This record gives sequence, structure tokens and C-alpha cells, in this order.
Amino acid sequence: MKEKKYWSPYVAGAGLGLTLLLTFVLMGRGLGASGALMRFDVWFLSLIAPDHVAANPYFAKYFESPLKNWLVFELIGVLIGGFLSGAIAGRLKVTIGKGPNISNRTRLIMAFGGGALMGFGARMARGCTSGLALTGGASLALAGWIFIFSVFAGAFALAYFVRKLWI
Amino acid sequence: MKETIITSGRMNPGIDPVLHAWGWEIPIYLFLGGVVAGILFFSAFYFIRGKSEQYRTTVKIAPIFVPIMLAVGLLALFLDLTHKLYFWRLYTIIRWESPMSWGAWILMIVFPLSLIWVATFIKDIFPKWDWKLPLVEKVVDRFKGYQRWIAWGLLITSLILGMYTGILLSAFNARPFWNTAILGPLFLVSGLSTGTAFVMLISKSHEEKAKMGQIDLILIATEIFLIIHMFMGFLASTEVQIHAAHMFLGGSYTAVFWTFVFVLGLIVPFISEALELGGYNVPVAVPAALVLIGGLILRFIVVDAGQASRWLYKFVEQLQ
Repeated sequence: MKEKKYWSPYVAGAGLGLTLLLTFVLMGRGLGASGALMRFDVWFLSLIAPDHVAANPYFAKYFESPLKNWLVFELIGVLIGGFLSGAIAGRLKVTIGKGPNISNRTRLIMAFGGGALMGFGARMARGCTSGLALTGGASLALAGWIFIFSVFAGAFALAYFVRKLWI
Repeated sequence: MKETIITSGRMNPGIDPVLHAWGWEIPIYLFLGGVVAGILFFSAFYFIRGKSEQYRTTVKIAPIFVPIMLAVGLLALFLDLTHKLYFWRLYTIIRWESPMSWGAWILMIVFPLSLIWVATFIKDIFPKWDWKLPLVEKVVDRFKGYQRWIAWGLLITSLILGMYTGILLSAFNARPFWNTAILGPLFLVSGLSTGTAFVMLISKSHEEKAKMGQIDLILIATEIFLIIHMFMGFLASTEVQIHAAHMFLGGSYTAVFWTFVFVLGLIVPFISEALELGGYNVPVAVPAALVLIGGLILRFIVVDAGQASRWLYKFVEQLQ
């Protein structure tokens, strides 16, 4: 089957907004992503070093079974949705999406490095683009809006230096 | 004065309300028993239908894994026994009313039968296979003449094996969540479904995978039907059964059961397989793996929840 085109970003954005509204209606709270991973991390760490988790107030706050948190289930839903929409669009294959002039290795190193930085940043900011920008922004939290502007400012400022990865 | 005197061994906290006699061993064994029943059933079925070459993985290759799975499952079962050295006593008597007796005897038939079944095919799969001993060679050759009989034997015993994995639990009338007649058919259908999923995982033939996917669709639909009916049955039953059902309808098993078993283990594979049949390109390994993992989690949850469900809940709630 031929691969279908991606949705228009405007339609997808409106869809995401409606999803966010729906989670407020149905679950009483907004979307999130990094919080779920954080809970998995802490749970995993607690298997190896339970004393360290208990002694560290930041970790201890997140210490509970990952199966007791709505974000974890939301993330499972994200995986299911991504998988099914990929299947319907004929896009299901193992591939590495990258710019034309870099190797797979460079792409993977940059992706994991960037992901790690983003994870660290999200925990420093106490939220990621889902939990802070979307959910916080939608509830008109000042921190959420500062975060959105900072993310865009940071992206514009740094894009020039990493542009070779994509063009 | 309000006084409650209960003279019962069940007030012992080691017995009731929390009876955790069964840990990981029993669910693993029930899961493997179900997969084995599924593999053997379809292997025998398509052999009898004369499709051994068309569905080569189903008929000849998948059963090779059966003796290994059975051995692992039985080892788990053995580890669970308190009096390990007395297991042979099960074989000193046949008790028709005891599921454990049924299970012990059916395994006594299925295990050797599956070994013979595999032995008669092994040279088709590994042409260089050498039995070393001429006697074994001769015996296996002799059995080749009876393949059809063995297939019929497997077809019937695999169904009993699959059914028994559920009935083993439903015979416990002291555990309301297990005490439902639907558990037998549910575990049988789930076992058949995991069997087809296993074949889909290891098969290289597109036609075979598509056929197994089709069968699995029907099995998953049946499973969904049975699960819904199980809960309808519980809710229409006595207070203890209603209480047992509520463990899954708002209680502590709700999230894990409906997310991992119902959505990830049944609905998502169902949609994926339906999409695949509808011409969309979905790697069949994904629904197959989900069905297998869902089947495993189903058994873990059912074994665990059954032990948590109880008759004396009212007393216990008052005491807490």
C-alpha cells in the first residue's frame, strides 16, 4: 500500500487541542509525557537502589507503582494510537528518519543526546511540552506560557548550529 | 451489646481474607498449557484436513516447541507443590470429579503423544536428523503409519487440556471470582488464540500467517464475548459474585485488566489483524506478541484476583 501524506499540522494541532480538552473533561487533568517516564525511571531505580530513592526527596515524591498513575496509561494509549494511525497510513516500517547528509550513526547519537537533554530540561522545568506547555498553557498558568516562549526562543537560537543535520 | 463470635479457621489471617498460596508458578503453567493446547489443536486439525505442506509451520514446526513448553510448565507446577515427592500419588487413582486428576492424566497422555507427533515429522524439518539408535528409528517409522490416529488423539486431548486449565480454577467454589463455568471456555479460547499467535510469530509463509490471523480474529471476538458475559453473569449473581466483579469494575484490578488484557491483549490485536486482512500493511508480529503477552497477563490476573475474592468480605470489612 502507498504511504499516505501526513495530516495538515493545523488540523493535527486542533485535534491535539481537542484531545487535551477531552482529557480535562474525562480524567480531570491534562496531558503529560515526561512524568510517566519519570515514574518508570524511579520505579526502575528503586529495584536497584531502594534506599537511594527513599533518601532523595525528589525521587521519593515519584515513588509509587507506575501502574497507579494516569500518565503511564495515557502513554500506553499514545503508543497504541501511533501504531494504529501508522498502520492506517501505510507507514509501519522500521526506519531511521534523518536528513540526507548524515549517517544513521550520527542521527542516532544526536537523537539520544537530544532526547537526554530534553528529558533533563523537562525535569528541571518541572514539565515537558505536554505537561507544562500544553496543559499549563491551556489552564493559563504563567509558567506554561514562559516555557512555551522559552522553548521557541531556544529552538530558533540553536537551529542555525544544527541545521546541517537536516539539510 | 453487639457481639460477633466466629469460630472458623478462616479467621486466621494466613487463610482468609488473603490466601496467596499460588504465586507465579501456576499462571505460567496455565499459560503454557493453553499455548500448547492451541498449537497441538491446529497442528492436528490441519493435518487431518490434509494441509500439512500448505501450513507447514502450523502442522510440523510449531509442535517442536510443545514438549519444551510442557516441560517448563510442568517444572513450574512441580515447584509449586508443597509435597514434591508425592506427586506420583495423582497417578494412583482416577477421580472424575477432580479437575486435578483430569489434568494429571491428560498431561500423561498429551506429553508422550506430542513427543511421538514431533518425532514423526522431525526428518521433514531437519533432513539430516539421525536417530542414532536403529531401534528408535524403527519405532518412529512404525508410528508414522498411525499419524492420523495420533492427530485425532491430539485434537481431542488438546481441547481437554485447554479447557482443564480454566476448570482447574473454576472448581474452587470458595473463591467467587473463579467459581464461574465461563472460565473453562475462556481459557480454552484464549489458549487457542495464543497458539495461533505463536504460529504467526514463527511462520514465514504469508498465506499461513493470514489464515492464522483470520482464525485469531474469530477467537479474539469469542474471547471478548466470553469476558463480557462472565462479568454479566457475576453481576446477575449473588452478593459475593457481584463483589468479585467489582474488583474489576472500579476495584484494584480495573486498570491492569482493562488496559493490558482487554485493550492491549484483545482490542489492539483485533484491530491490527482486521487492518491486515483489509489490505493494510501491519507487521503480524505486533498483534501476535500482544496476544501472547495479553494471555499471560490474563492468567496472572485471574489467578491473583481469584485468591483475593472471598465469601466473608462483609465480616472482614466490618473488622477492618
